[in-house]
Amino acid sequence: MTSHKLLKPYFIENRYRILVGLLSLIIVDLLQLIIPRIIKWAVDDLTTNGISNVDLLKYALYMVVLAMLIGLFRYAWRRCLLGTSRRVEEGLRNQLFNHLQTLSTAYFRKTSSGDLMAHATNDIQQIRMATGMGLVALNDAVVLGTAAICFMAYINVTLTLFVLIPMPFIVLGTRFFSKKMYRRYQQVQAAFSDMTELVRERFAGIRIIKAYAGEEQSSNQMRASSRHYVTENLRLVRVAGFFMPMMLLFTNICLAIVLFLGGRLTIYNTITPGDFVAFISYLGLITWPMMAMGWVTNLLQRGAASLDRIDRILQTPPEIASPPNALKPKHVLGEIRFQNVEFRYQSDGPNILSDISFKLKPGQIMGIVGPPGSGKTTLINLIPRLYDPSRGNVLLDGHDIRQFDLKTLRHQIAFLSQEPFLFAGTIRENIILKTGQPNDQLLTTAIDKAALAATLTLFPKGLDTIVGEKGIILSGGQKQRIAIARALLSNAPILVLDDPISQVDVETGQKIIAAIRQIRRFKTIIIVSHRISAVSFADQILSLDSGRVIEAGTHADLIDNNLYYAHTYQLQQIEEDTHAA
Amino acid sequence: MRPDFGYFEEKQLGKTYDLRLLKKLFPYSRPYQKLLGLSILLVVAITLLDLSLPYVTKIAIDRFIVPQTTAPDRDTVHLDRRSINQNFAQKHDDRSLSQNADQIRRNRIQGLTIATVVYLIIVVANFILNFWQKLIMEYAGQMILHDLRTTLFAHIQKLSTTFFTRNPVGRLVTRATNDIQNMHELFTSIISLLFKDLILLVGITIVMLVLNWRLALASFCVLPFVILASFRFSRNARDVFRLLRVKIAEINSRFSETIGGINIIQLYNQEKANYQSFAALNHENYRVGMRQVHISAIFMPVIEMLGVVAVAIVIYAGGRGVLADSVSLGVLVAFISYIKMFFRPIRDLAEKYNILQNALASAERIFLILDENDFDDPVLETKISSLDQPDTTRLRPLPTTFESFAFENVSFAYVEDEPVLQNISFQVAAGQTLAIAGPTGSGKTTLLNLIIRFYEPNAGQLLLNATDLRQFAKSDYRSNIALVTQDPFLFSGTIRDNICQGNPEITNAELNQILEASNCQHIINRMPQGLTTHLSEGASNLSSGERQLLSIARAFVSNPQLILLDEATSYIDATTEHQIQQALANLMQNRTTIIVAHRLTTAKNADQIIVLNRGQIIEAGTHTRLLANRSFYFKLWQLMGA
Repeated sequence: MTSHKLLKPYFIENRYRILVGLLSLIIVDLLQLIIPRIIKWAVDDLTTNGISNVDLLKYALYMVVLAMLIGLFRYAWRRCLLGTSRRVEEGLRNQLFNHLQTLSTAYFRKTSSGDLMAHATNDIQQIRMATGMGLVALNDAVVLGTAAICFMAYINVTLTLFVLIPMPFIVLGTRFFSKKMYRRYQQVQAAFSDMTELVRERFAGIRIIKAYAGEEQSSNQMRASSRHYVTENLRLVRVAGFFMPMMLLFTNICLAIVLFLGGRLTIYNTITPGDFVAFISYLGLITWPMMAMGWVTNLLQRGAASLDRIDRILQTPPEIASPPNALKPKHVLGEIRFQNVEFRYQSDGPNILSDISFKLKPGQIMGIVGPPGSGKTTLINLIPRLYDPSRGNVLLDGHDIRQFDLKTLRHQIAFLSQEPFLFAGTIRENIILKTGQPNDQLLTTAIDKAALAATLTLFPKGLDTIVGEKGIILSGGQKQRIAIARALLSNAPILVLDDPISQVDVETGQKIIAAIRQIRRFKTIIIVSHRISAVSFADQILSLDSGRVIEAGTHADLIDNNLYYAHTYQLQQIEEDTHAA
Repeated sequence: MRPDFGYFEEKQLGKTYDLRLLKKLFPYSRPYQKLLGLSILLVVAITLLDLSLPYVTKIAIDRFIVPQTTAPDRDTVHLDRRSINQNFAQKHDDRSLSQNADQIRRNRIQGLTIATVVYLIIVVANFILNFWQKLIMEYAGQMILHDLRTTLFAHIQKLSTTFFTRNPVGRLVTRATNDIQNMHELFTSIISLLFKDLILLVGITIVMLVLNWRLALASFCVLPFVILASFRFSRNARDVFRLLRVKIAEINSRFSETIGGINIIQLYNQEKANYQSFAALNHENYRVGMRQVHISAIFMPVIEMLGVVAVAIVIYAGGRGVLADSVSLGVLVAFISYIKMFFRPIRDLAEKYNILQNALASAERIFLILDENDFDDPVLETKISSLDQPDTTRLRPLPTTFESFAFENVSFAYVEDEPVLQNISFQVAAGQTLAIAGPTGSGKTTLLNLIIRFYEPNAGQLLLNATDLRQFAKSDYRSNIALVTQDPFLFSGTIRDNICQGNPEITNAELNQILEASNCQHIINRMPQGLTTHLSEGASNLSSGERQLLSIARAFVSNPQLILLDEATSYIDATTEHQIQQALANLMQNRTTIIVAHRLTTAKNADQIIVLNRGQIIEAGTHTRLLANRSFYFKLWQLMGA
C-alpha cells in the first residue's frame, strides 16, 4: 500500500502539467454536456416553429465553436496527462535500473532474470496505463457520469430514476464478471506459462529429443499443451463474450426505457421533444463511462499490483554495501590476507569454503588449483566482495575489506571472471568500457598482451567491430581474450584472473601467461586455473578440494607432495609431450 | 547515440509486406473457413441490428412521439402540431379536439409500446448474436493459432543442430509463444471489426442516403477531412509505433545485459556510466512515446471535432429541412445518431491499423523461421520435389541390422580453421565395444556428436554397413541408437513419460523387465507415486546417479542397435556406481557400443580402444596392446594406477 508514494515525486514534479490536464479534462466534459443542450434548443425551436434560418445557423456555429474548443482542450489533457504517465514510466524504469545495479550477486542468484525483465517491461507498462488512461477514464466516468445524470435529472427526475434502474445491475454484473474473468484470465496465463515452459524445455533439450528421434512425441505433447491453452481461452471467452454484450444490453435497455417512458412523457407534454432528444444524447454520454467502469477498475487494480511488485524490488536493500565512514584510501599496496574464512550460500547450507587462511604480499603471485566444484571461483569472488564470507575476514593492507568504501575497494581490483561477459558494443568499448581512458598506447599494449592483435586483423572493422549481444559473433577464445585485455588495461594494483586460458589453445595460452608474468612485482596477482602451466611460476599455490586447502606452497613443494597438484601436472605433461612429439 | 547497437533483429523488419504476409497466412485459415464465414455472417446480422436501432427510434419519434411531416395524412399532423403547441402557447382549447387528442394519444402510446417492444427484441437478439459471434470467432481464431503454433514447433524441431546453435533458445520460444499470441487479435477482433466497421460505414451511408439524400450529402462534407486525417494518422502512428517497439526491444536487451553482466559492471565500477547510457536510451523511448501521445492527441480530438461539425451541419441543414417540411424531426434525430455511429468505425479502423501492423511484424518473424530450410533431413522435407530429383539424393531405407560402423578419414571443425577432429578412421563390428580415451578437449564429445549426426563431417564419411550415413534419414537412424550421457536431460513430466518417451506400445510387463534390467526399481519404489511421480524442472528430486539410471532405462525402451555412452566424470557413491555399471552391462549385451571413457578402468574391458589427443588418433588397439606400446595410454594408465 505504501507503494503509492513511489508515484508521489512524479506527481509533484508534474503538478502544473497535471493541473492543466485535469482542468482541461473537466472543461472538455462540461463542454461536451452543452452539445446535447444545443441540440435540445434547436429541436425545441424547430417543433415550436419559432426559429429562423439565422437562429439555426447560430446553433450550428455554436456547436462548431464548441467542437473546436473541445478539440483544443482534449489535446491539452491528452498531452498533459498521458505525457505525465510517460514521464512516470521513464522515471520508474530509471529508478528500477539504478537500483538493480546496486544489488549484490546473491540477489541475482536467487531471482530469475526473466522475472526481473517482466518487472522492467510488463509491470512498468501496467503502471503507465493505470496512471494515464486509467486515471483519465476514472475522472471522465465520475465527472461526465455525475454531470450527465444531473442534467438528466434537471430535465425530469422520475425519468432519470427509471433510466438508472439498470445501473445497479451494471455495477453488480461488472463486479461479478470481473472476478470471474480475472480468475479465468489467470488460468489462461497459467496455461500460457506452462506452454512456454514446455516449449523452452523442448528447445533446450533438443539434442536429447533428436538423439532419441522423439520429435513426434514431443510434437504431440506440445499439441496437447497448446490445445489446453485453447480450451482455457475458450473458457475465458465464454465469460468475456457474455460480459461485454451484456453491458451493451443493459445500456440499450436504458435507451428502451427512455424511448418508452420518455416518449410517453413527450406525448403527454410533460417534457418537450427537445428534452426527449437531449435525454437520449445524455444517455449516450454516460453509456461509455458505465461500460468502462469494469475496465477501469481492472486497469487500476493491475497498476496497483504492478506498483507493489516494483516497490518490493526497490525496497530490497543491497546485501553488500559500503559501511558508514568507509575507508577511501587513494592508494593501496595490495596485500591480501584471508583469516579462517568460511563461506556458504545459505545459512543452513553446506560449507563451500572452510578454514581458508593465507597471506599474499604486494607484488606476489598466487595460483589456485583444484578439481571442479572445489571452491576456487567462490574464493576469489570474496576479494571484490561479490559475496561476504560467512565467517572469518578478508583483509586488504591489514584492514577488513568490509571497512572500505565498496567502489574504492573494487577500483583496486582488475577481475577476470570465468565466463567472459561482453556487452553489445564494439570490441573497443568492451575493452576500455565506458569510463575507460582512451589512451591508444595503453590499449595497444593490453591487446598485445592478451594475444588479441592477430585476431583483430581478421575483422574488417578491427577494434570497431560490433560484437552483438553477449558477443554472439565471437568464439569463446576470442571473448576470453577480449575480457583479458579489459583486465590488463586496468591500472588497479590487484589482478584476479579466473581460469584465464580455459578457452584458448595452448600456444596462445602460453603467450598470455608470459605476458602476465611480465607484470609480476608491479601487481598482486591471483590466478585460478586448471592448467598447471598457468600457475606453476607463482610465489605460492593453493590446492583446494571440497572447499579446503589440502596443500599449499611453491611448485617444487607441491610436486614433492605428490598429491592432486603433482598428478595433474604429470597428466598434462604427458599430453603436451605427446603433442610436441 | 549509437546507430547500430547490435540489435539486428528488430531492425530488419523495417518494412513489412502486408499483402504478401496475409497471403501466406491465408492457408492456415482454410480449415476454419466455414466457421469464419458463419462468424462474418453473424457480424453482418449484428451490424444490421445495430443500424436498425436508430431507425426504430426514428419511427417511434416520427409516428408516435412527435408525429409531424412524415405522417400519412396531413390532418393528424396539423392536429398534432396544434396539440403540442397548446402546451406552450395555449391557443386552442376546444373540448372535442381535446377528446380527439386523447384518443390519438392512446393510439400513439400503443404504437410507442410496440416500437419499444421491437426495440427490446432487437436489443436481445443483438445480445445473443454478439455472444455467439464472439464464441465462434474466438474458437476459429484460437484453432488457427493452435495450428500455426504446432506447425511452427514441429518445423523448428526438424531444423538442424547448427540452427539451434545460431539461435538462442529464448528467441525461438518467443517465436512459438509470444509472436503467435501477437496475432491473436488479427484473427479474432480484427477480422470481425474490419467487417463490422466496413458494413457499418456502407450501411450507414446507404441508410442516410435513403432517409434523405440531400441531408446525407451535406453531412458527408466532412468526410474528405476525416479520410485525410485517418490516413495521415495511421501512417505517422505506424512509424512511431515501430520506433517504440525498437526502443522497447533495446531497453529489454539493456536490462538483460545488465543483469547478465552485473558482476563485471560492479567490479569495474561501471554503474554510473551504464546508468547514464541507459537513462539516455530510456529518455529516447520517452521522447518517442511523447510523439505517440502527440499524434494520437491530435488525431482523436480532430476526429471527434469533425464528428460534432457533422452534427452541426445536420442540425443546420436538417433544421432548415424541418422548417421547410422536407425533413421530419425523427429523421433529424436518426441522422444525429447515425452520424455518431459513423465516426466510431473510422476511429476504430485507424486504431486497429497499429494492432494489425504489430501482428504482421510477428507474422513476418514467424515466416522467417518457417522459411528456414536447414533441416536435419532436407530430402524428407521436400516431399514433392524429391520425385524430380536424381536417385543419388534420395534416402535409402535403414538396414534392419547394423553389421558394422566406421569412420573413414573424418575431419571436422565447428569454426573454420579451428579443426576439432582430423583424419579419424576406425571400425566397430556388430556387438563389439569401442572405447574412446583421451584428455579433456581432445575431441571425444565432438566425435560422439558426429555419430549422433548433430553435425556432418567437413571431410571423410561415416559408414554404416559400408554405406555413407548421409544416405539414411536422420530420424530413422537415430531411432536405432541410444545416448546415455553423463548429465542426462530429463523433461518435467512423470517418470514413466521420461522412460517411455511417449511410446504407447510398452506394456507394463515389458516396462517392469526394463526397470529390473536398468536397476531402476528401487528408485520407483522410493517415489511417493511410483512411475507416475512428477519430476520437477531439471529433475531436482533425483540424485545424479539416479538420473543416469533412468536414462539407461530410457535407452532400453528404444531398443537400440547402437549405444553411445558418455561416461560420468562427477563423483557418484560406490553403491550407485555399481548399480550403473550393472545396468550398463545389461544394456550393452548383444549391442554395439561406443563409450567415451573418462576413466581408463571403463576402457579396459572394451574390444578396442582409440586414444585421442588434440583431435587426432594417436594410438589404437586393445588394452593389453596399448599397454605394451608403452606410450601415451601406458603413461595415462600408470598415472591412474599411482
